[in-house]
Amino acid sequence: MTERSARSASQRLEHAVGVVLRAGVTASSACLAVGVVWSLVTGESGVARLLLQTGIIVLLMTPVARVIVSIAQYVSDRDWPFAALTTIVLVELLASAVAALLFNKKL
Amino acid sequence: MMPAVTASLATIIFTAGVVSGSLGALLGLGGGVFLVPFLNLVLGFPFTAAAAISLTTVIATSSSVSAGRAGKQLINMKLGMLLEVATAGGSFLGGITAQLVAQSILQRLFGVVAAIVAVIMLTRLRRRNVILDPRADPGVLGGRYYEDESGTTVTYRVKRLPVAVTASFIAGNVSSLLGIGGGIIKVPILNAWCGIPLRAAAATSAFMIGVTATAGAVIYYGRGQLEPALAAVAVLGVQLGSWGGMRFGSAASVKWLKILMALVLFIVSAMMFARGGR
Repeated sequence: MTERSARSASQRLEHAVGVVLRAGVTASSACLAVGVVWSLVTGESGVARLLLQTGIIVLLMTPVARVIVSIAQYVSDRDWPFAALTTIVLVELLASAVAALLFNKKL
Repeated sequence: MMPAVTASLATIIFTAGVVSGSLGALLGLGGGVFLVPFLNLVLGFPFTAAAAISLTTVIATSSSVSAGRAGKQLINMKLGMLLEVATAGGSFLGGITAQLVAQSILQRLFGVVAAIVAVIMLTRLRRRNVILDPRADPGVLGGRYYEDESGTTVTYRVKRLPVAVTASFIAGNVSSLLGIGGGIIKVPILNAWCGIPLRAAAATSAFMIGVTATAGAVIYYGRGQLEPALAAVAVLGVQLGSWGGMRFGSAASVKWLKILMALVLFIVSAMMFARGGR
């Protein structure tokens, strides 16, 4: 891989990652802000609760989405070592979700 | 016991979020190192509830700060992705451990971590960034970025990779145990021992802590220890605060940042020991 193509690959990745992070933060912040205002105005309501839960879940999913996009970018650049490393990170994130489920079943 | 969610509590937490977010941005941290002690020591939240709220703000700060920086080559993506394997693994184990140990242990651990980092920062006040020949080869994991302040291109190679990996694992572990980003552990080590300039180390760490915090936050969330309404106001406050802090961050001197950071950490450490020792 030449210096030039290596650089443009890393710039494409930075751009893709930036787009995912910005979208996730904007969507979750919007849900959380509307949810907070809604619950202050109407009190405890199903809509407010749904908005807050959605905002939190979108926030938690944003780094996961960033990891998935990174894997896709490394695969399309045929950068196998980093595709593998980033896949390990995704597996670790999934392991956390599994651990949370197991804790709940037991306790 | 979790306090009931009221408008006044929401306002207090929002304000705490603004303060810790702006301090965090000035210091190159996620802000959790201030928010956790405030929620736990001042407001009396259970440590796990404080950590859960803080971790969600860490994710938000990491994501928005890194989105703003993407494209400036300050974030070392390859190094970040490599070290994330260690931080996420450490965070996963820390999140499980936090469910199994007593609050007083977590508080004393927080005190130890805060004091260690404060000492590291104070001993490194005069340290200069490593600036190599801009034509040098940064290697696979190194980086190159343009620094506005000095008007120079900074090029660096990563040294002692096993040290960086080990530090990242410990930082990830501490992150989800204590509800902080973990940057306070990684950044000094990456800077002092691994040859990474402070700004690149801070940007790369800020990029990584979103993934790190998620591995822990998912466990707290799944366990029902994350109150969405309180996390929401904390996240919004921290977002506002870090946006404000970022505007002054590049103008502030690194030396004074370090002194301020160390002082705050000593105070936090003493308070955590006082509470955890009871």
